[in-house]
Parts: sequence; C-alpha cells; structure tokens
Amino acid sequence: MIEQNTILESNNVILSLKILAREKEIVRRKLAVTAVKLAATAKKLAITAKEKESVRRKLAITAKEKESVRRKLAITAKKLAITAAKLAVTAKEKESVRRRLAITASKLAATAEKLAITAKEKESVRRRLAITAAKLAVTAAKLVVTAAKLAATAEKLAVTAEEKESVRRKLAITAEEKEDVRRKLVITAAELAVTAEEKEDVRRKLVITAAKLALAAEEKESVRRKLAITAEEKEDVRRKLVITAEELKVSYKTLEKKVLERTESLEMARAKEEAILLSIGDGIIATDEKGNIIFINKTAEKLLGKKSKEVLGKFFYEAVVLVDKKGAPIQLENHPVKMALLNKPTTAITGAIYYHLRKNKTIFPVVITATPVMLDGKVIGTIKVFRDVTFEREIDKAKTEFVSLASHQLRTPLSTVSWYAEMLLTEDMGHLNKKQKKYLGAVYSSNQRMVELVNALLDVSSLELGTFVIEPEQTDICKLTENVIHEQRPQIDAKKMVFSFSCDEKISLVQADPKLLHMVMQNILSNAVKYTPEGGKIDFSISLTDLPSHKTLKGQNTKNILLKISDTGYGIPKNQQDKIFTKLFRADNVLDKDTDGTGLGLYIVKSIVENSGGKVWFTSSEVEKNKGTTFFVSLPFNEIEKVNVL
Amino acid sequence: METQKTVLIIEDEKFLREALVDILRFKKFLTLEAKNGKDGLNIALSKHPELILLDIIMPEMDGVALLKKIREDAWGEKVPVIILTNLSATSEQLTNNADTQNPTQYLIKSDWKLYDIVKKVEEILKAQNTL
Repeated sequence: MIEQNTILESNNVILSLKILAREKEIVRRKLAVTAVKLAATAKKLAITAKEKESVRRKLAITAKEKESVRRKLAITAKKLAITAAKLAVTAKEKESVRRRLAITASKLAATAEKLAITAKEKESVRRRLAITAAKLAVTAAKLVVTAAKLAATAEKLAVTAEEKESVRRKLAITAEEKEDVRRKLVITAAELAVTAEEKEDVRRKLVITAAKLALAAEEKESVRRKLAITAEEKEDVRRKLVITAEELKVSYKTLEKKVLERTESLEMARAKEEAILLSIGDGIIATDEKGNIIFINKTAEKLLGKKSKEVLGKFFYEAVVLVDKKGAPIQLENHPVKMALLNKPTTAITGAIYYHLRKNKTIFPVVITATPVMLDGKVIGTIKVFRDVTFEREIDKAKTEFVSLASHQLRTPLSTVSWYAEMLLTEDMGHLNKKQKKYLGAVYSSNQRMVELVNALLDVSSLELGTFVIEPEQTDICKLTENVIHEQRPQIDAKKMVFSFSCDEKISLVQADPKLLHMVMQNILSNAVKYTPEGGKIDFSISLTDLPSHKTLKGQNTKNILLKISDTGYGIPKNQQDKIFTKLFRADNVLDKDTDGTGLGLYIVKSIVENSGGKVWFTSSEVEKNKGTTFFVSLPFNEIEKVNVL
Repeated sequence: METQKTVLIIEDEKFLREALVDILRFKKFLTLEAKNGKDGLNIALSKHPELILLDIIMPEMDGVALLKKIREDAWGEKVPVIILTNLSATSEQLTNNADTQNPTQYLIKSDWKLYDIVKKVEEILKAQNTL
C-alpha cells in the first residue's frame, strides 16, 4: 500500500513535474517572443531616432530655403512695385488716349451729324470716318493688347501670390510642428504675410486698374464697334448701292439686249411685212389722211412705170393720174381715193371707165378698190388696190366679138329664109296653091320664132357675159320710144289694135343708155302686142313723177321717169306673178294661146332696169275682162351711173 | 311718069343681095349691086344712086368705113343710106359711128320683112322727091 501510494505519489509528482516543465516551456517561448519583440522595438526606436535626426536636418535646410524664398520674395516685391509704377504711367497714358478718343468720338459724332445733314458730303465724311475708325480700331486693338498684357501680368502676379500663400501655409504648418523654427518662421511668415498683403493690395489695385483699363478699352471698343457698325452700315449701304447699280447695269444691259433682240425681230417682221406688201401681185398705193402717198409696192411701180421715190410724199391725184377712156383726167371728187378719204361708201369699180396714165403717157384700164384706213373711227389714210385689166378687157372684147359674130352668123340665114318665104307668100313671083301657101306659112312663122329666140338669147348672153355696159348719153326718150313703136307698128296694125302713146313734154333730153332703154321698151311693148287679142287696146305713156320709189346710186332722191304700158290682154295668172321675171319662164295661160315666146324678155328687162338704178313692176288681172296687164318702169331722171350690168 | 330710081345694094351675102335686087326690080327700081365695101364705094361715087342699102360686116371694106367715105363726098353727104345689118343694136362701135355718120335708117335684117324694107325705100325716096 505505501508503495502503491508512493508510486502513485511519485506518478503525481512526475505528472506535476511534467506540467511544470510544459508551463516553463510556454513561459520560455513567451519570453523568447517578447525578447524578439523587444529586439524589434529596440530596432524601431533606433530608426525613429535616426528619422528624427533627419527631420531636424531637413528643418534646418527648410529654414535656409525659406530665407532664400523670403529674399526672392523681397526682390519680386520690388519688381512688382516697379511694374505697378509702370502700370500707373501706362494707365495715365491710356486715360489720355481715352480722352483723346472721347474727343475724337465727339468730333465723329459732330461729323456724323453733319453727315446726316449733308448727304453729298456723306461719302467723303464716311471715308474719313472709316479711316478714323480704322485708326481707332488699330489704337483700340493696341489698347486691347496692352490690356491683355496687363491682365496677363496681373494674373501671373496673382498666381505668384497664391503660390507664396501656399508656401506660407506649408511653412506655417511646419512652424507649428517645429517650435523653434516656427517662431522665427512665424515672424518671417507674418512679415511675408504683410508683404503678401501689400502685394495683394497692389495686385488688387492693379486688377482694378486693369479692369478699368479693360472697361475703358471695352468702351472704346464699343465706340469703335459702333463706329465700325456705322461704317459697316454705310459700307453696307454703299455696297448695296453698288450692287443695285450693278444690278441696274445688268438689267439695263439685259434690257438693252432684249430691246436689241426685239428690235431685230420687229425689224425682221417689218421687213417681212414690207416684203409681202411689196411683192403683192396687184398694185398697192397707200396714202396718209391728206392723200399724200406713203407707200407704193413693186407691182404698182411696174404698172405705172414710176419709181417709188418719184411718187412718195406726193398728192395721189397728181402723182398717179387717173383718166377716162378718152384720156381726160377723172374729177378729184369722183376719184376713188378721194371718196375713200371722205369715207364715202366705196363700190368696187369694175367698169371699163378708169385708166391709169403710165409715165410714157400710155394708158391702161384698171380695176380699183380704194378703201379708207380706219383707226378709232377716223380715216388715217387710204389703200388703193388696182389691177391692170388689159387682159380682162381683151377677154371682154372677145366676148363682145363673139356675140356680134354669133348674131351676125345666126341671123344671116334666118334673114334669107325669112325674105324668100316672104316673097313667095306674097305671090308676087307666082301663084301658090293652098297647101303650098300653108306649108310656106309654117316655114315663115317658125323662122320668125327662131329670129326672136336668137335675138333674146343674144341679149341674154350679152347681159350674162357682161358685155353690156350702161353708157348714158343725152337721149331723147320720146323719140326713142316712137322708134320702138314704129318697129312694132306692123304687128300692132296686123292685130287691129287701138294704140295710144303720150310723152310728157317736160322730158326732153335725159341721161340714159339708148340701146338698153330701147331693149326694155321693145320687150314690154312686144309682150303687150303679143299677149293681147285682136282688137285690143294698148296705152303707152311716159311721164315725170316725184315718186320717191328709188334712189340713185349717189343716194339722192330725184324725179323719175315713169313708163307705163297697159294692155287689155290675157293677164298674168295670180299664182305665177312672182315668177314672171324668171329666166325662160312662161305663164300657163299664154302657152295655150301662143307658142311664140322665149321666156327671156322680162328677164332682160328686169336685169337692165335694176342695173340702171330703176324699178320694174306690174299689175295684172287674168280674171277681169279687158283689164289686162300694166307694166311700170321707173328710171332715175338725172343720171344713170356707169356700171356694169352684171 | 316717075323716073326710075336707082338703088345701090352693097351686101356680101349672095342670097340676101339677090332677094333685095329681085324685089326692088319687081317694084320697078333700078338696082346696082356690090358684094363688098370697096366695090360699093366705087360704084356709089361713080353712079350716084338715089339710095344705098348698106350691109355692115363685109370683106375689103366694112359698111361703117364705106359710109364714112361716102359722107366725105359732096354728093355722098346727102344720099340716103339704109344700114341693113344683123349686128345687134348694142354693138358699141356701130352705134357710135352710126350716130356720127347720121344714117337715114338703121335696120336689123332679121327683124325686118323684105316688104317692109321696100316700103321704107319707097317712103324715103318719096320724101326726097317732095323736097
């Protein structure tokens, strides 16, 4: 037991010892760590000491540096003082410049006012102003540059001051940490601060001065700008004027060009028109309102044998002579051109009554149409168009010759038949038996009918070929009528008619175409004889009347000659009365009774009478016995115009 | 006893001339004939007929020219002339000249009966006689 206790105790001891050993080891280890730490601390302390020493040394150096900076600052301060002084001087100069500018500006203002007053001087003044403005601009520019330089200097100074301030602050911080150095530095810094403040003050003043200068410069600039603007505006106006002037020049040139082109085209058109006029195949002569010739075309020149220069400007009546068939000049008042000038109604003159006289004194027949040239209802001239109708006249002549020839050639054999039949029928040359006499009678009367037909046809063809020209002459109308009656006398007597004739004694000689008048009366009278039964009555009277039944071509009311031929014949059927003047028409009632008739007589009468300015009419009754028909022919008493019948 | 009157017939148309000659002879006239203007003028101026029947359109010399010549003659100035023609009365030339030459009568053949012409001749010559 003891033993065991002992063992147990020993074990306990061993265990305790072991624990103790372990604790000792831990402590030892801790001690070792602490030792290491101590060693490190020691090392750190040693380093800190070194650092402190270095700081101390650095501070010493910094103090030296500060001293040097302070010196440099002092120098800078002195320089700033000098600069400030210079700036002051510059400012004064600027002030004086500004004043001068102000004066100049007022002068300019005055000048501007004058400019406003005198427009003419403006341009020169404007130039002077422009020059002055330019100078001012230069000066202002210089000032601006100077101001800019000053501003730059001030800025640099400001920057330097700021840098100094920052240095000062750093120094102040260092001074706090380094008591020793700090005090000195504080003093130095304070001194520096004072200096800096002064500098700051100077700087501010400089800034103010610079600002003022800048302001002044700005004002000048503004004045200059205004002047420049004014100058610019004037320049602008001038430029616009120049532009306008140029535009006007261009417009003018364009216009001129256009005018030139237009003139050219007009000239072309005019030339063309003139060429057209000149080349017209009929003669053309134009006159002004006085009747002076203003134009003659080539055809007219050729026809008249005259050059345009010979007639231009001359009075138409003398320059281009119009004559009648016998070469006697046409009266001025009857001249177609004169009629046109008086704006009288113009008739195209187609009769062979006008002839133009050539330069070589020969004449040629002309057809003239003269018309007034009207403008706003006024006659401003005339145009005469005329044509040489020699050829047409030749054709007319040929027609007339044809009619003559035809009449001669047709009538000759008819005459022969007629005459021989007559001789046989009278039995002067020997006796005829009944049959022979009857047959021969048929030959004779048929031949007579043929004679009438040929006569009527020749009259109609003459009328229609236009070979009838009414040529009025002094005619004894009563005597003419007596001749007509005399020609009809055999037929009148053969039918045992009661015939009476009366002619107004006041009618002596009248203007009439005897041939045509003869034809008219012959036709009406032969009708009366033909279409009135045996033993009938015919009255023929010629009288003067005041019937305003028609007008002459000249439009004057005149007395009329009235032919009245009444019979107690068959009359004209009412329903056919409107056709009685129609060519080849014959009324039904006479067709039964007498086949001898052509239907041409009254057509010829109407053609002649109406173309002579007269009228023909009738009253007729088919029903009333012995009433018969009365034909009236009314003709102008004075004159029958010379015109073509058809 | 009436002396026979001589009538000159100037007519180029044979049948017409012969008809006139026959009827005038039948009516106891003396006749002279010419078949153109030239012959007619010669006969007229040499034989001095009492009356001339004159055609217009003829060869050699026409009636108008012939009449003009006759009227220039002292005898011819007064001789009655009957113009017988078949030209229309509207022929310008004819009337103008006929007027100025103052013919006694102007007749269109086809319009006139042969016996009326004879009557005309007789009338004129009778009137001449009574002067």
